[in-house]
This record gives sequence, structure tokens and C-alpha cells, in this order.
Amino acid sequence: MIDPMTVLAILAMAGVTYLTRVGGYVVLKNRALSPRATAVMEAAPGCVLISVIAPDFVSRNPADLAALAITLLAATRLSMLPTVAIGVASAGVLRWLIG
Amino acid sequence: MSVSEIALAEGKAANRRGAEFRRGLAAATPVLLGVVPYALVLGAQAAQRGLSVLEVPLMTGLNFAGGSEFAAIQLWTSPPHILLIAAITLLVNSRHFLMGAALAPFIRHLPKRQVFPALFLMCDESWAVGLADAQRRAVAGARPAFSLPFYLGAGLAVYLAWAAFTTCGAALGPVLGDVETYGFAMAFPAVFLVLLRGMWKGFAAARPWLISLVAAALTYLVVPGAWYVAAGALSGLVAAWFLAGET
Repeated sequence: MIDPMTVLAILAMAGVTYLTRVGGYVVLKNRALSPRATAVMEAAPGCVLISVIAPDFVSRNPADLAALAITLLAATRLSMLPTVAIGVASAGVLRWLIG
Repeated sequence: MSVSEIALAEGKAANRRGAEFRRGLAAATPVLLGVVPYALVLGAQAAQRGLSVLEVPLMTGLNFAGGSEFAAIQLWTSPPHILLIAAITLLVNSRHFLMGAALAPFIRHLPKRQVFPALFLMCDESWAVGLADAQRRAVAGARPAFSLPFYLGAGLAVYLAWAAFTTCGAALGPVLGDVETYGFAMAFPAVFLVLLRGMWKGFAAARPWLISLVAAALTYLVVPGAWYVAAGALSGLVAAWFLAGET
């Protein structure tokens, strides 16, 4: 049920991932940042978020693109739960309609 | 203060922590709608690659970073190529460096014995929800802006859902078929778009995001693999660096 090589690979993954999680904090916790570096850090969260979902903006599926446009519109006006509900529902319905 | 007054004050603080923790759980709930289908798919794919129902939660529970797990499963052989898998994991999760750096000013005041375990729960979802909450509280004048129990509530909800539903996926994999065909894939962008709206400070401040979006999308179209996150994030940061020199 548990293979030793698999366990080693999983431990290697877990170790590397934990280092990425603490790395940014450890390097920056005791530094005062210049105004420029502060501007970069302020932009960073949005830059990471939008990059993670960028593939959705260039989807080859027209149903998903239309659903993304509807979701984007919903996100500018509504709170989290209704936006997610509208996103999931519109993607489901549009995929069923246009495939 | 008498003994009973101290006990009362401690009780109140514990109540507040409990309320903040539950607020975190509630904030993570819409996110779970996106996490659960992905977890089922990952578990099913891992089972297909020969990982057992015990090995899957070992991976998702210890590593707890979905993107790297999807990548690792694609590359999984028997026996696994450990160095390759570690390198790909580092590449996919390199965005955590930036995320931790963005979080650093908000958690600087916390003791290390709290920060190091808390950072284990830092994933895209818990980080985004926790940071957005800290920014909102900072604007509202709350001190400290970062609420650790709120973040832990959100992180633990995602963690438990991820570990539990990847295991379900491994057990049920062959029965489920393709979860992607339903609309659940849109839950993830929906959550992120709402979080971005919360961080919105006008068009000028959002120009680096646009650069990130374009760079990440182009990289995604041209380069295979998960490079697009790193390429998009870095392009946006370079843009922010140069745009900051304008004023």
C-alpha cells in the first residue's frame, strides 16, 4: 500500500514546498523597504492572482469565455458567494448550450 | 486584577479568537466549491498513476499545494524520479516566495512559533482571503490588521477539504468520470476576480496587473507547463518597479 520510493518523493515535494512557503517571509521580515520596493510589494498579490487565472482569459472554449465575461461583470458588483454561484451556473449552462 | 478578572479576560480573548476562526471558515466556504472538484480530479488521476489510497493523502496532506501535485502526477513513474519531481515542485510553487513576501509586513509582529506553523497553511486561497481581509481591516483602522485566527480558519478549511477530497477521488476515481465537464472550473476565477476587486485602488495602480495578465496569457499559450504564473507575476512586478518611478 505504501512504497518507500513514493514516500521519499512525497517527502522531497513536501520539504521543497514548505521552503517556498517560509522563504519570502524569512528574507523580508526584518527589512525596511524603499518606496519603489513597497510599490512592487503592493502590486505583487494582484499580479500573482491574475497570473494564476490568466489561462481562463485565453480559453479556446467560447462557452467558458462567455461565462468568464459574465463572472467578471458579477465580480465588479456582487459579493463572493453570489459571484461564485453565477460563475459556476453560467459556465455549466453555457457549456451545455454551446459545448 | 484579581484571579477571576484575569480568567474572565482570558475567556473573552478566547471567545474573540473563536469568532475570528469561524469567520475564517465562513470566508473559505465559497472557495471550497472550487477546491473540492479539483481535489476529486487530482485523487482520481493519482490513483490512475498507481498511487494507493494511503499514498494520496500522504502527498496532499504533507505537500498541500495542488498545482505542484497535478504536475508531479503527470510526471509520476514507477519508481518516481525524485529530483525531477522536486525541481518541478519548486518551479510551480515559486510563487509562494512572492506570496510570503507580500504577507511579511502583516505578520512581522507575530512570534516565530506561530508564524512557521501558520505558513504551512499558506495556499493560493488562504493567502488571498487572509491578505484581502488584512488590507480591509487596515483601511478600517483595525490593529493588528492581520487576524491570525481568521487566516487559520480559512487555511484549515481548505486543508481539510483538500486532504479529504483527494482521498475520496483516489477511492472513487474510476466511478466519477470527468468532473471538469460541469461548470465548477469557473469557481476558481470567480473567487480570484472578487478578491482582485477588493484590492482595486484605481486604474493607475492596476496597470501592473494588466501587464501580468497579458504576459501570463501569452506564456501560457506559447510555453508548455506552469511557467506562465512565474512569467506573469514577474512581468507585473517589473512594470510596478518602473511605473513607481513616474511620480
